[in-house]
Amino acid sequence: MDKITQKIRETAKLALENGEVEKIIGWTKGDTFDDSHPVFITDEDKADSLIWDSFCVNNVSKYLIKELKQSNKVGVFLKGCDSLGFNQLIVDNRIDRTKVVVYGISCPGMIDPEKVKNEGLNKGLKSVKRSGDEIIFITSEVEKKLSSKDFEFDKCLKCRHPNPVVYDQLMTDALEEREVDLEARFKDVEDLEALSNDERSAYWKNQFSKCIRCNACRNICPACSCVKCIFDNTKAEVSGKAKADTEEQFYHIIRAYHVAGRCVECGECSRVCPAGIPLHKLNSKIIKDLNGLYGEHEAGLDSSVEAPIGMFKLDDCDSFSKQGGGKK
Amino acid sequence: MSIEDEKIEGIDKVKFEPLVVAFCCNWCSYAGADLAGTSRFSYPANVKIIRVPCSCRVSENFVLRAFQRGADAVVIAGCHPGDCHYTSGNYHTRRRFSILTNLLEYMGIEQERFKVDWISAAEGHKFASVMNDVLEKVHKLGPNGKLRDDRWIR
Amino acid sequence: MMKKISKSQFSQLFSNIDKSYQLFLPVELDGKVNFDLWQEGDKVNIEKLKTNISPKSFIFPQSETYMKFKRDGKKLKIDNVSGKKEDYVIFGVRHCDASSFKLLDNVFLEEPVDRLYEQRREKGTIVTMACFEPEENCFCTSFGIKPQTAPIEVDVTTWDLGESILWQSQTQKGEALTEKLNDILEDAANQDKAELNSLQESTKGKVKELPLAKLDPTKITGELKDLFDSEIWQELSERCLGCGSCTFVCPTCHCYDVSDFKGDAQTGERFRCWDSCMFSDFTLMAHGNIRKTQKERVRQRFMHKLVYYPNNHEGVYACVGCGRCVEKCPVHLDIVKVIKKLGGE
Repeated sequence: MDKITQKIRETAKLALENGEVEKIIGWTKGDTFDDSHPVFITDEDKADSLIWDSFCVNNVSKYLIKELKQSNKVGVFLKGCDSLGFNQLIVDNRIDRTKVVVYGISCPGMIDPEKVKNEGLNKGLKSVKRSGDEIIFITSEVEKKLSSKDFEFDKCLKCRHPNPVVYDQLMTDALEEREVDLEARFKDVEDLEALSNDERSAYWKNQFSKCIRCNACRNICPACSCVKCIFDNTKAEVSGKAKADTEEQFYHIIRAYHVAGRCVECGECSRVCPAGIPLHKLNSKIIKDLNGLYGEHEAGLDSSVEAPIGMFKLDDCDSFSKQGGGKK
Repeated sequence: MSIEDEKIEGIDKVKFEPLVVAFCCNWCSYAGADLAGTSRFSYPANVKIIRVPCSCRVSENFVLRAFQRGADAVVIAGCHPGDCHYTSGNYHTRRRFSILTNLLEYMGIEQERFKVDWISAAEGHKFASVMNDVLEKVHKLGPNGKLRDDRWIR
Repeated sequence: MMKKISKSQFSQLFSNIDKSYQLFLPVELDGKVNFDLWQEGDKVNIEKLKTNISPKSFIFPQSETYMKFKRDGKKLKIDNVSGKKEDYVIFGVRHCDASSFKLLDNVFLEEPVDRLYEQRREKGTIVTMACFEPEENCFCTSFGIKPQTAPIEVDVTTWDLGESILWQSQTQKGEALTEKLNDILEDAANQDKAELNSLQESTKGKVKELPLAKLDPTKITGELKDLFDSEIWQELSERCLGCGSCTFVCPTCHCYDVSDFKGDAQTGERFRCWDSCMFSDFTLMAHGNIRKTQKERVRQRFMHKLVYYPNNHEGVYACVGCGRCVEKCPVHLDIVKVIKKLGGE
């Protein structure tokens, strides 16, 4: 068994046994190779179902909102990106830090099942293991070793926080900060900015026309934690459900805007989109602008820092008076 | 320019009458519009003014809805920074709509179509000139088809 | 009479169909394959087994206006919007998706008949394509669907032999389409039929090897109340996000909501659009949602597919085993797990 999995199980078992926590949220394995899903454990005998592998991509911190209403103390396993989301929930006053025990896990990057399928490696695949920068695909007959870079989620390739930024206990040794091209962070945005207005408009129209309004992007988002979303509020007259281009544009602009300054760049919105819309490009744009106009801010890095939208400074640059179109 | 080019989505560009929606703060710009009227500064009737209690009352939903339902340009006018009736409302406006201005441009809306400006109750002249300026630019750009709801016929 | 056409003649086949029908087929765009209106130069992809979103949107669109109204003085003028007028062909539908149409018929064509749905069904000619290489997530055989042989109600069925495809019409609508294509379809040779037979046989073998081949919904037995009160719902629903991915990619989900688009003060239109039992505002009434927790919503979805629908429709399950929910659910909560757990596995 994997060393980290073992540590996770031992930790969970101990915490439940001695009553340190009432519930543990982690991941467990399903039937298919890519199926590692969140699990909620209250019984220490079931702690052995917990696992850690290259498909534990779900951020379990948002479940805390629901769970803390029923339990007084909950333990969660958080990866680097998850911990940013966790901090953001604290900033947003949605969870009580004192009621949570955080078990941090350094994450080398998660594997995108779609990339595995695109390479045709999923046929008869039994399991997938990772060692360092190599992924081992195991079928009943052969073992194949391939470079991890080709199979990680796009968002993981850009990851700047493999190590949890907040934790009570660490499950792993800290990983070395990965070499990430910082200029690549906003490359998607800059590519779009370089287009003409009409090209950009056509680009987004095409993207949004794929939207099926399933709300997965909203529901997975650790920053989308409103008690009642305006799009669920039938009285607010904004929840236009028709499949019309403008309704989809409206939904996505507002969704991105509502998490402005609070988006932790976990990239989950793009991952879960069943239609494959690159939704993170909206959030990245806002982050880029906020950084440019009001100074660097990284949401979720520090739970004591306020988000840049919702506060102001008297000497903020006045971007309107010079016809600046919002630029400095 | 061919005849096809002049007709954008059924709207004749030659006879094009732009629609500008202006959200005006009750305590300054709305009075500024009043002053513009009483001082007989002319600004076209295409500007539809919506009175709001403070420029920060304007939500990004309003702006998008206006574009959806036929606006060719949207203006938000509030008190000069430091003069807010509620102390700090327009500081929030400044941050929030800086971001929205950029985001709209990112979605392909020409930046001339969305404007935020500070107009006090004493600046009737400024109100007229801002509106004229926006209208002139919108005239050049033509009718707005982006973000427009197809089901909506003006 | 079985026909045949070489793949090199595909673009001609499509443009011939396009002359008398609207043609929808699987088109690849930005790495995803979806059914779309055919245009010259589109990247047609018939190799991909499942389209990203199911083709149910052609017979049951995501949103559809059915009434327009206008105020005229004190009177209200109401116009019924007419339905689909053009004949259309959907090419390359897989047998799972084709079977889902029958399930929707059971709902929309029962009294009172849904006018718009009926029109869409009448205007459409369904051309299926058999699967010889089912995927890991496929379990259509659990619902009596054969990947290698089309259901009998399908208009035309085709088989991909690599270089060419075999074409067999099964209904009058199918005959009409085949007749229009007579000049490019040739008769299939005995050799082709033999090849088809051997491919069909080998598919039967492959299906049995699939990881989900043994999935059996008939194991779900017992009193409705016991199933309803089963403990599995709590455990399964705990991680549900409450998004509608599963319901909107599902070929058999058919719930809709009715709402109004308000035009100016004088005009408006009433439309229906897909709705999901996973949403908090589903079947919203004056007192709120009747299913207050996600557990009740998850239970509703799966009980409907596996218990209520079969009870009302002679034991037919409202699932076709396409596996889209298995692929798309962000937290891996899918019907396979429910069938296994509810079946006592």
